[in-house]
Amino acid sequence: MIEVKSLQKAFGKVTALDGLTFSAPEGQITGLLGPNGAGKTTCLRTIYGLLKADSGEALIDGVDANKDPLAVRRKIGIFPDKFGLYERLTAREQISYFATLHGMEGEAGDAAVAEVLSRLDMNAIADRRATGFSQGQRMKVALAQAIVHRPKHLILDEPSRGLDVMSTRILRDLLRELRDQGTSILFSSHVMQEVAALCDQVVVVAAGKVAAQGTPTELCEQTGESALEEAFVKIIGTDEGIAA
Amino acid sequence: MKSPITIVFRKELKDALRDKRSVMAAMSYAFFGPLLMAVAFYVLISQLTDDSDVKIDIEGAAHAPAFVEHLERNGVVQRDEAWPAGQQPIVLAIAEGWDESIATAQPAKVTLTADFSSQKQRTDIRRVESAVENYSKQLSYIRLQMRGIDPRITQGVDLVKHDTATKGSKAAILMGSVLIFILLSVFFSGMNVAIDISAGERERNSLELLLSQPLTTHQLVWGKSLAASAFAMFGGLLSAILIPIIFKFLPLHEIGMSVSLAWPMILLIIVLLVPLALLATALQLFVSFRAKSFKEAQTYISLLLMAPMLIVFGVEFAKVKNQVLYYLPLTGQHQALLDIIKGEPLQWVAMGISALTTFVVSILLLKLISRMLSSEKVVFGL
Repeated sequence: MIEVKSLQKAFGKVTALDGLTFSAPEGQITGLLGPNGAGKTTCLRTIYGLLKADSGEALIDGVDANKDPLAVRRKIGIFPDKFGLYERLTAREQISYFATLHGMEGEAGDAAVAEVLSRLDMNAIADRRATGFSQGQRMKVALAQAIVHRPKHLILDEPSRGLDVMSTRILRDLLRELRDQGTSILFSSHVMQEVAALCDQVVVVAAGKVAAQGTPTELCEQTGESALEEAFVKIIGTDEGIAA
Repeated sequence: MKSPITIVFRKELKDALRDKRSVMAAMSYAFFGPLLMAVAFYVLISQLTDDSDVKIDIEGAAHAPAFVEHLERNGVVQRDEAWPAGQQPIVLAIAEGWDESIATAQPAKVTLTADFSSQKQRTDIRRVESAVENYSKQLSYIRLQMRGIDPRITQGVDLVKHDTATKGSKAAILMGSVLIFILLSVFFSGMNVAIDISAGERERNSLELLLSQPLTTHQLVWGKSLAASAFAMFGGLLSAILIPIIFKFLPLHEIGMSVSLAWPMILLIIVLLVPLALLATALQLFVSFRAKSFKEAQTYISLLLMAPMLIVFGVEFAKVKNQVLYYLPLTGQHQALLDIIKGEPLQWVAMGISALTTFVVSILLLKLISRMLSSEKVVFGL
């Protein structure tokens, strides 16, 4: 369970989060939908403790990342806003690095890495160095890094950007599978279709606040629109920064 | 469970070893630095010990055949070929009235024209001068004897020169500059790795994810700095071993020097470099974790490298002598190395203290870096 309670965060004079409150329960995919600059990335970074909230708290299974960041980070898998690979390491070595950082060593670690490699259909590139990987292949490595230790919580920051259809499908299938295994998944996006296709619950964020919350259908009903996109525009009052 | 420090250390080492640029940087400084020095010394020695004839222009040789013969016996001969471009000719002109001057026991006039400031021709000029002085001395002895006077009367003081400089202490002057190479090798060799694992990590956008893993920034910084220090140490090791070997091949004995470093001393030098390698890395990480990109970090670090160079060269050339130098980081290792080379008694306590202060400064710096990486301002450049 990921809980965000009245988070406040300002960078200088700019207010990034303004009392943001929502929760992402187990066995559900929660989409954080909002235009660019709405505070999505700031919110996620606060959850895994890279940013400190001015007030309010972000809890993973009741633990605050600002108080015990290591305990929180052991429970989560992260697919960050920017993911860079170590160009001189092979895919297997990169994933294994993150597995060992999560305490998975020896045979158990190797087995976990091998499992995630075949789950993501990466055996062909497993022992190639990351230099020359395509965007889709890089995404798979980053995704594998995030889930290799089988976290109970998965946080993804705009996971589908720059991906082709095949890679997007792999990503979606994986997220659904993990959800069915009881993982709480929180991911941010500004792509409407993706949110509509994947999410059990949508949290619409605008200007650091929750503008609306509910299933895609509920959001449409609330606004009296038939399409999620129209509902969204109505909720945030502008269509700025939104991709269809 | 393996410590996160070990995990990070092993990963960074593997990564760095695959980076040809880093390996080359570590190797090349440690390797080419001493080699360059060796070549320079080789040229210097062969110039100093040159015993081939000095070829100069002798004008009016016909006036004084005996004098010219004397010069020839002393290796100063008439030049046949042209002077190379950019070199001032050395001209010895014998005046016309030579015979008359000799006959009347007057000073015979000989003019030496040359560029006396020229480094290259200094030994040549010196040899011409001493050949002429010798002849002059012989002449005056003969003149005194002919008048029935003991020539020793002209010698008021008999100065006996007794050179107490050992071969080792002469070599120390030369080795002083070579030492700087050994000391700086730890600063140069790990530099590329240090930049790559800090500013490079940020540039390739992997820093955020790494910082979100279940390890403290303290563990992360230690793992990284140990990996970079290993590289720095590798360079130090290489140059500490190579320099004595290279000096074995130089004909130093020809200029009255001997450099012999026993293996225990080389081992001691290597041990002394260990805390310095950690300090070098800590300094470099401190600077380049603040940089946004590899290029930016490189700029900062090349400025940073001036500091140890200035300190070591400053102490070396200003001949600063102060016991405090033995206790401080960098200068402490420098002084200890100087003592080792000169064969002077070693100050073990001072060595221990400088190693300790070096470690303490490094640890404090690493602590500071860990704190820096916990700050969102530094991590995200807010």
